[in-house]
Amino acid sequence: MKRFIEPNELARDSRFIRQDNAMATVLASMPDDVDAIVAAFEQFSPMIEESVRGTAAEELFEAYGPAFTLVVLNEPLDPDSAAATMRLILRMHGIFVGELQALEGAARSLWDFPDAPWEFKMNMARQCWDEGRHVQIFEKLLEHLGGHVGMFPESTFLFEAACSDDPAMRVAGVNRGLEGLACDVFRDMIRYAEKTGDEVMQQAVDYVLADEITHVRFGSEWVKEFTKGDPEHLKKTQDFRREVDKQFSFGGSRSDREDAAIPIAWEDRKEAGFSEEELKDLAAVSAEGPSKETLTQAAQILRDRFHAKRSGEGAPS
Amino acid sequence: MSERMYPGMSPDERTTFAPYSAFDIPADLRQLHGRYDVASVAKRVRNFRYAEEWMMMIMGGWVATVPEVPVKTGIGKVIWEGAQAADEFGKRLPELRCGRKAVEASEASNDGFASFVQAVAEPETPDLTIEKLVGIFDVLKPHMVEIYETTMRETDQISDAPTIEILETVVRKTRRHIAWGQEVLDRLCDTEALRERRRARADELSERLAASGGVTGTLASDRGQLN
Ligand SMILES: [Fe+2]
Ligand SMILES: [Fe+2]
Repeated sequence: MKRFIEPNELARDSRFIRQDNAMATVLASMPDDVDAIVAAFEQFSPMIEESVRGTAAEELFEAYGPAFTLVVLNEPLDPDSAAATMRLILRMHGIFVGELQALEGAARSLWDFPDAPWEFKMNMARQCWDEGRHVQIFEKLLEHLGGHVGMFPESTFLFEAACSDDPAMRVAGVNRGLEGLACDVFRDMIRYAEKTGDEVMQQAVDYVLADEITHVRFGSEWVKEFTKGDPEHLKKTQDFRREVDKQFSFGGSRSDREDAAIPIAWEDRKEAGFSEEELKDLAAVSAEGPSKETLTQAAQILRDRFHAKRSGEGAPS
Repeated sequence: MSERMYPGMSPDERTTFAPYSAFDIPADLRQLHGRYDVASVAKRVRNFRYAEEWMMMIMGGWVATVPEVPVKTGIGKVIWEGAQAADEFGKRLPELRCGRKAVEASEASNDGFASFVQAVAEPETPDLTIEKLVGIFDVLKPHMVEIYETTMRETDQISDAPTIEILETVVRKTRRHIAWGQEVLDRLCDTEALRERRRARADELSERLAASGGVTGTLASDRGQLN
């Protein structure tokens, strides 16, 4: 068995539909410019349409056009908003596949770095069990909400962005970048569940968040250990994590901005070993994306153009 | 109060409690002297640690390349319990005069066993879940249980009790892994052709395993001891 695999080698059963990672990458690095965002989405429109065909997202695509992800990602999840349940299920599905990729990332660290210290292997092995349970938990929560596995396409963007071939960068990307994002998302989900009085979801996600803090802590400790006595390696690793964090901020959707859909879970992250300085840095990095106003305008233009095109197609020539 | 609670200074000032040997309650039927001395138990433990560590790493490599979700999640737990087993074996080594640094010492019994382990690790693509699982759950783990149990039976029951305690836990969990893995394989191999694939892989690997002498390299004499 070889060391290091490509994201397209992640094996899935026939329920899963894969989405091109290019879209997520573009979305993660968009400028604060309405025209640029419209142009990017129009370019990806056929790809997006193709990837949602036959999935539950087709409905969202038909309603909002290619920019439906903007609506889904950038509006805070609110039980009273339109299509709230579908958007919640979409997010839950995203978390489910995120957990799968976190499981795969942690497990590959065992095989990809055979000479790593034993304590590192112990931590990664423990994470394998935890992420395996998280996959099981989120599959159940998905069903609890009326959804099912494979109802939305999966991008392997998280695995691709986080899984470096360097052990320090791998733990920085997976255990601090990806798991840190998980902390933010789960804190937000707990808030949502409290609001709706969903005790099943509230308690389950609360336990998962406790596990994730432990995983971030593994990352915090191993980045230090792997870069000990090598400030240049440490700097490279921090730069890599910053890049991952920027991508995982989805153009400011996850940030400390007032209009963020997913706020940074400041307290949870501190408990997991992020320093105040790192958190301020994360807040700065994640706020760099387009403003909510820009995104709303872009989404509106894209929706109008999409519907105009659709009705044009339907009109007799 | 004429009964004495505490012995006095002279022979006729004994207590009135009934005499028992140290081993009478409950009766201790264990006998001193086992088949292995300190050095050979230490070697066995290093061999066990080698197998558990490699099984865990190999399954870590497979999680991403098996398409069946319950196999991914199930393996996650087996990985963690394998790591705990390797960890316990490692912690036993300094107690067996291997030095404090020995906690990370793994050692293959011989090149044949090391190359057998690499053969177990070989299957890679998503269409080979059967071949992957057979190596661990039909061949290597059942072999480990056999050797663990031989060791528990044959080692000094009193002097080497700490090793026995570790093995008891590892065996209990390994049996659970085998039951799970074989149930998964039974489900996956639902045609005669697939069952044949399972058998062929198991036969091939079992042969290599036996030729190597197994995890401790002493399979022939271990089995001879039983007869
Ligand atoms: Fe997780
Ligand atoms: Fe995690």
